[in-house]
Amino acid sequence: MRKRLSALLISVLALSACGSGGDDSPEGTAAAASCAPSSGPVTITYTTWIPGIEKVVKLWNDKNPNIQVKVQTGPNGNGGTYQNFFNQLKAGNTPDLGHIEYDALPSFRVQDGLLDVAQCDIVAKAKDQFIPWTWNQVSFGDAKSAWGIPQDSGPMALFYRADLFEKNGIAIPKTWDEYAAAAEKVKAAGGYITNFSQSDINQFAGFTWQAGGRWFANDGQQWTVNLTDDKTKKVAGYWQNLISKKLVSTVPPWTTEWDNAYNSSSAWTWVSAVWGANSIMSGAPKTAGKWRVAPMPQWTAGDDVAGNWGGSATAVFKSSKHPYEAAQFALWLNTSEEALALLNKEAQLYPATTAGTKYSYLANPVEFYGDQKIYEVFADAATQVTPDFTWGPTMTSTYASASDGFKAAVSGQGTLDEALAATQKQTVETLKSQAIPVKE
Amino acid sequence: MTQATIVDVPEGTEAPPRRSGAVRYGRAVPFFVVPFGLLFVLFYLLPIGYAIVQSLYTVERTGTFGPAREVFGGLVQYGRVFQDGPFWSSIGRVLVFGVVQVPVMLGLALLLALLLDSGLVKGRRFFRLAFFVPYAIPGVIAAIMWGFLYSPNLSPLKPVTSAIDFLSADFVLWAIANVVTWVYVGYNMLIIYSSLLAIPAEVYEAARIDGAGPIRIAWSVKIPLVMPAIVLTTVFSIIGTLQLLAEPQVFRSFSSAVSSTYTPNLTVYSTSSVPNFNLAAAFSVVLALATFVLSFAFLRFTQRKGAR
Repeated sequence: MRKRLSALLISVLALSACGSGGDDSPEGTAAAASCAPSSGPVTITYTTWIPGIEKVVKLWNDKNPNIQVKVQTGPNGNGGTYQNFFNQLKAGNTPDLGHIEYDALPSFRVQDGLLDVAQCDIVAKAKDQFIPWTWNQVSFGDAKSAWGIPQDSGPMALFYRADLFEKNGIAIPKTWDEYAAAAEKVKAAGGYITNFSQSDINQFAGFTWQAGGRWFANDGQQWTVNLTDDKTKKVAGYWQNLISKKLVSTVPPWTTEWDNAYNSSSAWTWVSAVWGANSIMSGAPKTAGKWRVAPMPQWTAGDDVAGNWGGSATAVFKSSKHPYEAAQFALWLNTSEEALALLNKEAQLYPATTAGTKYSYLANPVEFYGDQKIYEVFADAATQVTPDFTWGPTMTSTYASASDGFKAAVSGQGTLDEALAATQKQTVETLKSQAIPVKE
Repeated sequence: MTQATIVDVPEGTEAPPRRSGAVRYGRAVPFFVVPFGLLFVLFYLLPIGYAIVQSLYTVERTGTFGPAREVFGGLVQYGRVFQDGPFWSSIGRVLVFGVVQVPVMLGLALLLALLLDSGLVKGRRFFRLAFFVPYAIPGVIAAIMWGFLYSPNLSPLKPVTSAIDFLSADFVLWAIANVVTWVYVGYNMLIIYSSLLAIPAEVYEAARIDGAGPIRIAWSVKIPLVMPAIVLTTVFSIIGTLQLLAEPQVFRSFSSAVSSTYTPNLTVYSTSSVPNFNLAAAFSVVLALATFVLSFAFLRFTQRKGAR
């Protein structure tokens, strides 16, 4: 117990240590926001959780002796790095560059942590290289701003077990109705069509994105929170039906149990993002060669609409002393073929640039997927993501609340609809407690 | 205490050396006290003070992305704390947890300590260490390990875990209680056991001459004499229970029954990762006060009982 006490003390201390220097006035930081090149050699610090990033950074450092990048890796964003960033913001000692997913960018902007890199001429010029909807994720719809440089995207598609579908004579579902019908047949054959993600709400967000639901809107005066619109309710009702009928399994995502569900052929499909290809490879090695990828099921037959799950930006923190060089590195990292090829090789990142999706390394067949050229499916999906999905400024709280509710729903206590209603209320509450104007 | 006795010695002798001696020791006092005082202020009072200050502030901003200004808000954050349903139900949850888990854990610790002390056990050193080993395992690792043991499909005890879902809403609190007990029984046993070792042998001799058997000695001599140690471990356990964090945090990833506000400290953690440091500070202060009140009430209760 003493250990816990000391752990608490340490964390309190860490908080206080962080806070003591953090009373930066908004005037002071606004004045520092510009983007001019530095003179002489500089060192840029960069925090990320991309596996194998050291190799990519080495490539840069070897070629750019005057702009050396020091990379620090940590846990994934919601796993701890965001918390560190928030603490560092309060303490005024953030790195120059940080890895921030699209859904978390507004949260960091609202904490006044980010530099508008559109002020850097090199960034403004590079705008057209990016797929429009990924740029929209960093500009928040304002053509003159960019709160980071898009890095990767997560267009969604349907991963499915070709062998099991064929053996049981089940057609590959093209619509969500067909998917639900297939779920019954899969259940009869002794499996589950998929595993519903009860605590990683991003999958559900991706489904909603595809269906046309929009959770947040910002008219410049105030935020609107709309987690209970008709489109979201349609998606929630659809999955609630599958959960109630026990046609999907509900083991917690990103656990060994979850890997086991796929590795032991208990779950037959996964509607996931492009980086999910890697999750299946590493989590379900016994199923090598048996998976294929098809476009995401549609709400209306004949449509071509994809959802997006994940994707990140490389953001320049406001306190950076070398914003120009930081932006220069971030641009190289996210637009040059050499960097993107290495990022894809090491971490299966899928580029956010238009040219990137056409690079040759993405045209190769992938052995694990029976030599299917899976990235072709995602290249199509990347162009089918609707551009105007806006994230709220306190997603951590929204996710925690939704996850609490979804967990209850899969345990048979309540429904997804009720969970979303509670999340709506909680999110508005959180915005109000942060003095962020919100429409009630 | 040692200082008092050292100073006492020259007191009876002549005046001049006493004086110079007092000055010399007088210099020693700050030498020993300053490091402690400094660390105490730096790592204890300051953080607590900072948390209290933070909890009195609230943020203001203009526009949807306006930068936050911290302004004095008085007890606004505390108002939020007292209206926060999940926080108070989490306090209720850990109280239920404590009422069951603390007596079970300390009962086990006492039993093990008495067994080790009784002379009935061979290989005392081995067992003393063996009981203590779980405490040497970091709480997070212990929780992950037990998580696997509880897992419905991967557990080595699958016949049991597939029949009873230890990670379901009905059981998970007690599954966590089991982990906490497993980790801390040895630690508490060691405190009680060392207190048992401090009992002079004459006391046992006298009891034996009076015709007391081993069980009678344990009940009427040992337990009353180690009561202070038991009280101490109880206070530690009450504090630990209210501050449960690592175990529920780990269980959150593989149990659908553990929410982001499952224990008070988990609420503090979730709130600070919004990030809403002011509200998190207010939660912490209220939690610290609740801990203080409970520990103090328990001490008063046992002291009054002792006085009778």
